Amino acid sequence: MNTSQPSANGQPQELPVPLHIDRSWLEQLNNRLEKGGPWGDWRLAQLAIQGEEARLVTSFDELQCLKHLQGLSPLPHQLDTAHKVLFEMSGRAILADEVGLGKTIEAGMILKEYMIRGLVSKVLILVPASLVLQWVRELNSKFGISAVAQKKAYTWHSDVVVASMDTAKRDPHKDFLLEQEYDMLIIDEAHKLKNKKTTNYQFIQKLRKKYCLLLTATPVQNDMSELFNLITLLKPGQLGRQGDFSTNFVVGKRQPKNQEQLKDELAKVMIRNRRGEGPVYFTKRNVSNISLQLSAEEQALYDGVTAFVKDQYKASEGNLSSMLSLVTLQREVCSSRDAVFLTLVNLSKKIPDESPLTAKVWELVNAIKAIKANTKAEKTIELIKQMNEKVIVFTEYRATQEYLLQYFQKHGLICVPYRGGMNRGKKDWMMDLFRGRAQVMIATEAGGEGINLQFCHHMINFDLPWNPMRVEQRIGRVHRLGQQKDVQIYNLSTSGTIEEHILHLLHEKINMFEMVIGGLDVILERFEKQESLEKSLYKLFLESDSNEEIRQKVSSLGQTLDQIKQQVDYESETMREEEA
Amino acid sequence: MSMSSQQVQDHMMTYLESTECQIIEKSPYHVTVKLSPQADKQLTNRPYYWGFVERTGAEPETLSFTFVFDPEQYDNNQMDDSIPQTKPQQDSILSRYFGTAPMVPRIGPGRIQREDVTYGSNRLQQIWNAARQEGSCLYLFEQPAALQRETLFSAAYEPWLGVCFKAEMSCDVKKEELHFVGISLVTGRIISPFPERLHGVTLSPRLPENIHIQPATVSLPQAAISLEAYMTRMLAEMDYGWAEQARERLSEELAVIDIYYEDLLKEEDEEKLAAIREQYASRRSETTWQYEPKVQLSAITCGLFHLRSSGR
Repeated sequence: MNTSQPSANGQPQELPVPLHIDRSWLEQLNNRLEKGGPWGDWRLAQLAIQGEEARLVTSFDELQCLKHLQGLSPLPHQLDTAHKVLFEMSGRAILADEVGLGKTIEAGMILKEYMIRGLVSKVLILVPASLVLQWVRELNSKFGISAVAQKKAYTWHSDVVVASMDTAKRDPHKDFLLEQEYDMLIIDEAHKLKNKKTTNYQFIQKLRKKYCLLLTATPVQNDMSELFNLITLLKPGQLGRQGDFSTNFVVGKRQPKNQEQLKDELAKVMIRNRRGEGPVYFTKRNVSNISLQLSAEEQALYDGVTAFVKDQYKASEGNLSSMLSLVTLQREVCSSRDAVFLTLVNLSKKIPDESPLTAKVWELVNAIKAIKANTKAEKTIELIKQMNEKVIVFTEYRATQEYLLQYFQKHGLICVPYRGGMNRGKKDWMMDLFRGRAQVMIATEAGGEGINLQFCHHMINFDLPWNPMRVEQRIGRVHRLGQQKDVQIYNLSTSGTIEEHILHLLHEKINMFEMVIGGLDVILERFEKQESLEKSLYKLFLESDSNEEIRQKVSSLGQTLDQIKQQVDYESETMREEEA
Repeated sequence: MSMSSQQVQDHMMTYLESTECQIIEKSPYHVTVKLSPQADKQLTNRPYYWGFVERTGAEPETLSFTFVFDPEQYDNNQMDDSIPQTKPQQDSILSRYFGTAPMVPRIGPGRIQREDVTYGSNRLQQIWNAARQEGSCLYLFEQPAALQRETLFSAAYEPWLGVCFKAEMSCDVKKEELHFVGISLVTGRIISPFPERLHGVTLSPRLPENIHIQPATVSLPQAAISLEAYMTRMLAEMDYGWAEQARERLSEELAVIDIYYEDLLKEEDEEKLAAIREQYASRRSETTWQYEPKVQLSAITCGLFHLRSSGR
């Protein structure tokens, strides 16, 4: 026990750093002495002290947050990342892990640590609109951080706010936000800030922030200067002046030079974990393509629709834009008669009664009536009965989804639907049902807000989206961190139809199903400089006269994609070498 | 520091008992409790409800909780107990369409909400914070031994000012310390750590019989100043290597920023230059905000402790 007498030399010594003393306690004590109370409970005071002791941060550089996070077991690379950002990068960093390695978890841990240490209380998180709720949910459920989604002006006053960039940068929100001081700013999908001249970029530059995390899976998409801009947002000068950067580090648009030096500089602000590195283990993907022969009636309908589409295209004299949706008809025949039927009915409503088209449409409707069975649905039932495990079936069409629900239920399968239009509560409910008693989930939507189905390792693509990103999103629902088993993917396709060509492109050419393509978004962005892949495909099908022509064109399109892919692989390989 | 489920439970029970909650059921793994009005106000975040009760004088209905400290053990025990219970009825219409339907939760005053409470859970933080609120200002007396009441002479009591300080050393990272110190208002003697002086002493807000309190010679503000001076000396003796390092980081960061803006500040367009100047200044101040080392001293709890004179 140290005791000391009040000494005449009680002159307080100077601290080498500013000392701020909060004297409110004395005021409060005086106040209560004047009023004669109320006085606190000694047991509670002791409890308060014990509580403070229990959460006291006794070390500058030891991760505290794990003790606070029950039920979260971060992977080693996530722990490393959190540690580095907190204690080596001083809380300003680009988290550039490849897709699916858990950047959100890393950001959450870093945020939690700062909050526990009392270094951060006011937080702004800007994410694409579709991810706002997901972030709010994850922060609340996984990290016990009471984040709120920005809805009304007053929600900005909450401590931890998640908002979309588009909302935040607009008036009247913008002015309010620029007056604030944020202890921490987190931006998801930060590669959208690659251009200095955009309002987004300038807005973020002006926001007052202490710590800052930028999350992106693709820090460089087209141009090395994008990386420079991103880093300038975080720490201007880290890569030198703009001019220095180009002379020191850039050869071609996408080719860095002085790689050693660049690597060192980058490592101070950016962390990039890669798939297939270290202990992150993804299970295998096994792909079966199941080619089916349409029944005579179905084939008749397909031929009828194809002829109809061709005729219309010719009649329009090559006017593409109005014709594109007609190709959808062809795709729909390959899915279910219900899907075509709905589209045809809608089409007939648009054309005047006396038009000769009406007759043609009704001819097709009659062809639909002749169809008694769905070849694909029969095959699907067979598959499901064989596997006898949980399975998710994806289709592009609402009508097919309805039909399959009915059809499966008739065959004694317990199944639930899932679609984009459902509200959050219903989506969660469907997920719970699927986790519980239902064997089959029939989904029309894969993207957007986290349906995470690690407990299921079978998926059937009843029909295929033409956008590879959406294919990857579908697979990503089941093939993700936490999946214990190899994932079985079944692709149904009908031979002699456009479906066959698409499957050929996605599977043989891009090798979409078997491997995870890290930079798929980059590949597509480069390819789609002129036109979206989907649109190119629509065109291709309309303009080709024969099956053979289609085959050739699809093949050359596949080659273009492959070239871009190799280029991207090469670039990321050189980046990787630098980093290694 | 982390805490075992037993420690968490101890903290929780201290709070529940101190706030006079009604314990309904208790096992080594859980406690089921009906909150007292005081605890309900502090824990359930229902200001509108309590506003309503206070304005209308309605009989308050507090919430009940089952706090589970060891979920695994608790669930095991529950399973053993619940075998004789009949399974709850499924909603037949929903289950016909959707396979299995989740049970509709019981709502209303009779409902007992289950909540798992572990070291990191917000509930425990909330309880500590509530305890800090409730225990922030104290006025306590040492309770004498039974003998004291029968002796002729009244016992001399010495008033002490006790303060539990929290010191926060922060830059871009942070560390904390707790110091509970006490000063006698009679002699001006300072004791640190003060809890050692309180060891074995029973404290209560009740004024005991047959005692007298020695007159204070040190005023409260003087005592406060002495304690602060004491704390300042103690803090001054710390190792400030962390602050030096933080300042080094700060000056490095500032140098990088300076170089980056050096060229930009040669801009000739007045308007553009003003914008760049502003950006430069704000980037520098942000960086200082981030790295600048500082120490913050605040109090967790404070109070007057009337302790039997040690007879010096």
